[in-house]
Amino acid sequence: MSVAFPDTARAALRQPFLTSDGRWISAGLGLAFIIVLGLPLLVTILWSLVDPQVGWFAPDIVPPSLALDHWSSALSNRSILSALGLSVGIGIAVTILTSVLALPTAYALAKLPFRMKRFVELFVLAPLIVPGIIVAVGIGAIFFRLDLVYTVPGVILVQTVGTLPLMIRILAATIEAIPNDLIAAARTLGAGPAAIARYILIPLAWPGFIAGGLLTFVSSFEEFEKTFIIGSPFVQTLPVILWTYLGGRGIIFPNAAVVTFILLVPMLIVFFLAGRVLRDDVLASGMGKL
Amino acid sequence: MTKGIFQRFAVAILILPAGGYLALFFGLPLMLAFLGGFGMFTRGDETGFTLEHYRALFGTQAYRDGLWFSTYLAIVPTVVSLAVSLPLAVALARTHPGQRLFNILYKVPLVVPGIVAAFVVMTMFDRGGLAARVLAPIGVDLPKLVRDQWAIGVIIATSWKAVPFMTLIIGGSLGAINRDILSAARTLGAGPLATFWRIQVPLALPGITAAFLLTFIGGMGAYAVPNLLGPVYPLPLSVHMYVNAFERNNWGLVSAMGTVLSLISIAVLLAYYRATRGMRTAYGGEAR
Repeated sequence: MSVAFPDTARAALRQPFLTSDGRWISAGLGLAFIIVLGLPLLVTILWSLVDPQVGWFAPDIVPPSLALDHWSSALSNRSILSALGLSVGIGIAVTILTSVLALPTAYALAKLPFRMKRFVELFVLAPLIVPGIIVAVGIGAIFFRLDLVYTVPGVILVQTVGTLPLMIRILAATIEAIPNDLIAAARTLGAGPAAIARYILIPLAWPGFIAGGLLTFVSSFEEFEKTFIIGSPFVQTLPVILWTYLGGRGIIFPNAAVVTFILLVPMLIVFFLAGRVLRDDVLASGMGKL
Repeated sequence: MTKGIFQRFAVAILILPAGGYLALFFGLPLMLAFLGGFGMFTRGDETGFTLEHYRALFGTQAYRDGLWFSTYLAIVPTVVSLAVSLPLAVALARTHPGQRLFNILYKVPLVVPGIVAAFVVMTMFDRGGLAARVLAPIGVDLPKLVRDQWAIGVIIATSWKAVPFMTLIIGGSLGAINRDILSAARTLGAGPLATFWRIQVPLALPGITAAFLLTFIGGMGAYAVPNLLGPVYPLPLSVHMYVNAFERNNWGLVSAMGTVLSLISIAVLLAYYRATRGMRTAYGGEAR
């Protein structure tokens, strides 16, 4: 990626880009992130700590008193805990199913020449192009006949439709970067397709699996619309529970705030773990060009 | 020749898992929805070919308004996000103190569910929300921002979620531009702004348009956020779809609505291909 410039040329090149605006950028970004990320976080924390005896009403900018009541009732609420377990379980199942389905196709798209390749590429991309609600309602009509509606397997199947395109694209982009010589060498040394997949493709495409897998898990964990249409009211993932607090009969802010955190904490853990292994270019490769 | 046949066979086997899966759980439902819009293969009432559902869709004021509103909810948040993302991507790429931290922080909304974004908008901007409480003592009376006619709340929540996504893609496209081209522009006398508008933006256009397209489609099909934050009238077509499917059991109309929304998406996609094809010839090679 980096080009070997002579040091003098590099200094000259860098100079105009390194005008003294670095501090202004930092200050501006810092302020923006405090308003756009920090403030909402603070308000959500405060809402989750509102004292149910006192409440938090209009003129008060901070709640008059804080309590852990909503947290303790949420953490002893079986439906919320089982929703957390269910969300994680569905997320893992979707990630595994997506990876297994995506690998062979990603390999074919990345390494093999064939006719109608463009068509396959477009078809595999199509679920990103068609709004999720249409997919969900369409599948719902079929799942009614198959008795898959309102079931966990049904939710896993419908979520996978939405996660497959990105996984295939990210894996294909990573596999494309694997030198053909390696695969050819393995072939000459007698490796069959399974051995090539096991000893060359999967280890070398690992960054793609990590990026695609994390992205898949995140999008499954936060997925609402398809899950709601196929699974609700019997399959209650965390976003579905949050929806009932916000949309159903009357809005219950403190409960919603607590569920928000239960939903956010796993996401943020995955996110910061991912930040260590994930490169932006791998992520962007999945979407930069359609 | 046997090798050719073998290879074709191998390709078919390799494509089968994902391709078959998508054919079964994506292509088939979409096809059925398309036919269902014309009254064929619908659940329950099999009527044979009819244009009745499309007549209902385009003949009912609420649905016509819903179609416009869906388009509005696709375009406005996308334009707002683009206006934020482009400068943000440029700023993040410049050297500045805390660059690493900022480059992680901006991506946080990517993992925040849309419903959470909607909840935050409610706590901040709804009547009696924090913004109103802070501004009331200094005499500023906020207009209605949640469940309002212009769907400001929906636009805020959708844009908040879309900005990091767009910034990531645009940043990737900007980063892929050969630095030599930028230095060449600078040596030829272009200032930073001219370099940005005349070199960086055109070369990053495939990424920018891809981000635009995906955000547009997300906004058009959104159900949860407009339902929580949007006005009571008009309702976007996505909400009409849900109501007609699961509360009125009117699957023919739902299929017609789904077909229309899909057609808009496909039209935008085709426009995208036309636009990027032009770009590739104009600038020689692809930006990514």
